Amino acid sequence: MTSPSYVLLFALGLYVVAVLEGWASTGRLRLARPLRAGVALLGRETVTPRRPDRVLYETAPVLLLAAGLLAAAVLPLDRGAVSVDLATGVLFVNSALAYVMVGLVMAGWAPGGAYSLVAGWRFLGQLVAYSMLIVMPITAVAMRAQSLSTTAAVSSQVHLWNLAAQPLGFALFFLAAMAVCFLPPFDLPVSSDLAGGVAGEYTGARLAVVRLARVALVLTLSLAVVVFFLGGWLGPVLPGWVWTFVKTIAVAATMLVVGRLVPRLREEQVLAWGWKYGIPLALVNILWVGLTLLGVR
Amino acid sequence: MITLVVALVVGASLFGVGLYGALSQTNLVMIMMGIELMLGAAMVNLVAFWRFLHPGAVSAQVFVLIVMTEMALEMAVGFGLATARFRARGSVEMEEATELRG
Amino acid sequence: MTWQLLSVAFFGLLAIWFGVTVFRTSSMVRSALSLLGSMAAVGAMFLAMQAEFLGVLQIMMMATEMTIMAIFMVMYMMDPGGLGQMDMTHQKRVSVAAGVTGALAGILLALLPGWGPIVRSVPGPARQTHDLGIELMNRSMIVFETAGVAILVAMIAATSVAIARRR
Repeated sequence: MTSPSYVLLFALGLYVVAVLEGWASTGRLRLARPLRAGVALLGRETVTPRRPDRVLYETAPVLLLAAGLLAAAVLPLDRGAVSVDLATGVLFVNSALAYVMVGLVMAGWAPGGAYSLVAGWRFLGQLVAYSMLIVMPITAVAMRAQSLSTTAAVSSQVHLWNLAAQPLGFALFFLAAMAVCFLPPFDLPVSSDLAGGVAGEYTGARLAVVRLARVALVLTLSLAVVVFFLGGWLGPVLPGWVWTFVKTIAVAATMLVVGRLVPRLREEQVLAWGWKYGIPLALVNILWVGLTLLGVR
Repeated sequence: MITLVVALVVGASLFGVGLYGALSQTNLVMIMMGIELMLGAAMVNLVAFWRFLHPGAVSAQVFVLIVMTEMALEMAVGFGLATARFRARGSVEMEEATELRG
Repeated sequence: MTWQLLSVAFFGLLAIWFGVTVFRTSSMVRSALSLLGSMAAVGAMFLAMQAEFLGVLQIMMMATEMTIMAIFMVMYMMDPGGLGQMDMTHQKRVSVAAGVTGALAGILLALLPGWGPIVRSVPGPARQTHDLGIELMNRSMIVFETAGVAILVAMIAATSVAIARRR
């Protein structure tokens, strides 16, 4: 695989996830929906708030998109097919995802509207709840791989996927990943409850960038779940990148559908559950992985 | 050589900016920002010394890790104090914090 | 070497510029996010100086820290949006003098001594991370554990100070 083909594959993934998002929210599978919605958004009138914090207002959507794409850049699509092979790739995924929150708080503050401001701070409350649940399962994955490289994380799963080796870590990371890309049930801050929340003050082309960033985040987080827990490119018969693609789309579809089946969570419930149950469970997971590693020796 | 000096000059300038901020601001949280800048300047110097003079010495990186931890601790305790002060007095303006003056 | 000099200088200037912006703007969220920009530029300087682990760690830690700083600013400031044009500084002349003196002293110290021979080669990032881990679990273990205990103490102290008094 060559570098342009990564971009093409990622763009295809983005489109498929956008179609799936429409399917999950409306119940109808329409292939042209993202294209039509994108054109409609670009053509629509752009209304800006009266006194926005101009710099932050323009930066926030771009920062959101950049955070998702940067995290995807260090995740491998196939054996030896990774855009940037960092020695600390696993940590870099964390650090890129941390900027999702910065972007959301920025977008909440910048328009100077009450609803979007409240929504931005609610996102911050959610961040405090789930950020540890992103970092700690990834730590357990790195422990098993004995490396911070994302490729090593996949090759450590040749005999047994991390899904089976550390199911607790998988469950926690999956839920935390849904919270990072603010899918339901963690989407209260962008819901109609707050008149659209953070995205409420964005219109036209800027809103298109926000929506695209959300889709990119869903795809990136699904790819991260696949790389860290579902064996990445590993699979029989088909070439590795096909396996990565199929698994990623399957995870994205699961993420999009699962959230529709449960009621929305308030941010203080997310906080309480994240700290009272999530973090102890993540610690148990790390202990479990450490014990199995010592037992294997 | 020149890169080392450039990094050290950047560190010194950041330290100066941080010192100015810590002394000139009246708000507790802004004073903490100045302190963070000064700590950042210290980290720049540590990494520069590690890279250009002793790349083999891993303990330099440990030192930087400890400084990073210290930044987080300073924030946690500072916000704790700010919350207590705000509860007690209704503001964190340090001009008004004169209770300990003799 | 030239790319290294250029990128260190570029991110250094960026860090200083963002650092100055922190105290020049009157909007509190802006100043917290400028501090984040400054610290992220410092992290980029670490990356330019081939300390990959430290750079990525710095960029990650500061994102969360500074966003939380922003919420505390808004909670405790009289004029978080900067629309009221309040002046929140004091002893300006003394501070400027102190800042300039500190910076000049540091710059003099950076320029005057001969720093001795510059080492050109540096261990690769994977090697560095491995060595750092071994160092933390081996020779520097006491230091590392002290940091852990310090975090625990600070958590307890901060919570007990901030918690509301029960009457």
